[in-house]
Amino acid sequence: MTALLEVRDLAVEYDSGERRVRALDGADLTVAAGETIGIVGESGSGKSTLGSAVGRLLPSTANRVTGDVWLAGERVFDLPPAGIRRLRRERLGFVFQDPIASLDPTMRVGKQLKLVLGSKGDPLSHLDRVRLANPGRVARMYPHQLSGGMAQRVALAIAMACQPRLLIADEPTAALDAQVREEVLEVVFSVAAEAGTSIVWLSHDLTAVARRCSRVAVMYGGRVVEDGPAADVLGQPAHPYTAALARSAPAMASLGDRLSPVPGRPPVLAEASHGCAFEPRCPYAEERCAKERPELHVVRTQEALCHRATELVTAS
Amino acid sequence: MILELDNVTVTFTAGPPFRREHVHAMRGVSLYVAEGETLGLVGESGSGKTTASRVALGLQRPTAGAVRFEGKPFPKRRRELAGHMQAVLQHPHWSLNPRMRVGASVAEPLAVLGEKAPDRVHEMLERVGLEAGLATRYPHELSGGQRQRVSIARALVTRPRFLVFDEAVSALDVSVQAQILNLIKDLQREFGFSALFISHDLGVVRYIADRIAVMRGGEVVETADTATFYTAPAHEYSKRLLEAL
Repeated sequence: MTALLEVRDLAVEYDSGERRVRALDGADLTVAAGETIGIVGESGSGKSTLGSAVGRLLPSTANRVTGDVWLAGERVFDLPPAGIRRLRRERLGFVFQDPIASLDPTMRVGKQLKLVLGSKGDPLSHLDRVRLANPGRVARMYPHQLSGGMAQRVALAIAMACQPRLLIADEPTAALDAQVREEVLEVVFSVAAEAGTSIVWLSHDLTAVARRCSRVAVMYGGRVVEDGPAADVLGQPAHPYTAALARSAPAMASLGDRLSPVPGRPPVLAEASHGCAFEPRCPYAEERCAKERPELHVVRTQEALCHRATELVTAS
Repeated sequence: MILELDNVTVTFTAGPPFRREHVHAMRGVSLYVAEGETLGLVGESGSGKTTASRVALGLQRPTAGAVRFEGKPFPKRRRELAGHMQAVLQHPHWSLNPRMRVGASVAEPLAVLGEKAPDRVHEMLERVGLEAGLATRYPHELSGGQRQRVSIARALVTRPRFLVFDEAVSALDVSVQAQILNLIKDLQREFGFSALFISHDLGVVRYIADRIAVMRGGEVVETADTATFYTAPAHEYSKRLLEAL
């Protein structure tokens, strides 16, 4: 089985005049066709950069230092302009954080959908597919007349209109009211499942991701530090960072326990990290953690970027 | 008893005359919040949680039933309640004025009461774990967690006896969420306020609340101690919520 998406050793830097920030520091990720994978990380861990890099949608201040992205057998960064446009059109769907900002404010919803579908498409059936009540009325509305949840469904209808192979959902529910979130997620996953589309869902909520995705990749400091089946990553984390994240989720705490948030702050890298990016916050750090970049270790069903992953798991 | 809702019903009407539609957002809800305790309120969307919080804050007049704050019915003018009850909402960047410096935002509730106490602002910022130097910054310069700390400081600066947290941690990163939840617990021990903590997330509510009320379709279907919720919830719907964790 060949992978649908393959990201190898991708490093991306943002250059804003005097300050340089390394958002991705050698990230690796593989997604098979039909898979649903959740990418979890705190703000600033590089997950949005990874998502945009897949569609070569990075802003002009970003530059790719090393690494490559293959999507459906094509090298995304080497395609000519016409090629990347075709790839985005036929293979990729994007849903972003702010749904209203991702729509054109001067155009009615139906017309925007028509742009994607071409002249023969029927916008109403697509609006119906994302379970919008009264699609005829919604099609005549402008984006500012939509509520956040409706706008996100419209954005999803547009993203899924051409039956893409891969849907990248970048925190699709972060800007929504807590109560509409579940409904929108339900729609995202059921629509993608019907179309046989793989999902890469970027989120900061480990438990929510583990509930819906088959696989979870945890990002920290611009690298994927742990990758494995959702239940195992959440239940028996191999990387100390994942363990710390799981401990800070209130749903995991038992009665009378005090939550233990991850100490310290996530790093902002200026250059390639010399050791493990989690070392300053890690309770198990030793000398080599600050000096050597951790290699991939396979622990049970998971892959973890940690020097001590194997010994910590056998110790516990 | 800080707050009592006695058989409260709220009905919203919509539509043209003769074809009016009536929506019962709350149906005969009775709740109370005792001195120094946190009542958690959970339920799915549309179950009436937010309406309950509006009634508790005196922003929504009930169609039927009585609300008592500190044993007395709400005063005619809401202004008399200023400084006695406060709210912390879901999105801190919607609840903080983007054109006001953080220090001024925190001082605003005091200004409403006609008090001036710059030291209290600085003290409050330190209590919620922010450096006093942040007072001169604007909200957009802060991270989500810091902004939520500012909203909590703003809510607590008048030393209110009752607070409403409406989805106060739902928009935060998981690790930041844990910090804010711990902060709320610590501040409650220190200041002794009572709280109504509303969330759709049973995990969060279970962690922070002393008692939990579950709402569904405008009615309270179960009220129980938190310990019960960890072990054996009685109502069918509460069991389902618990399984979803």
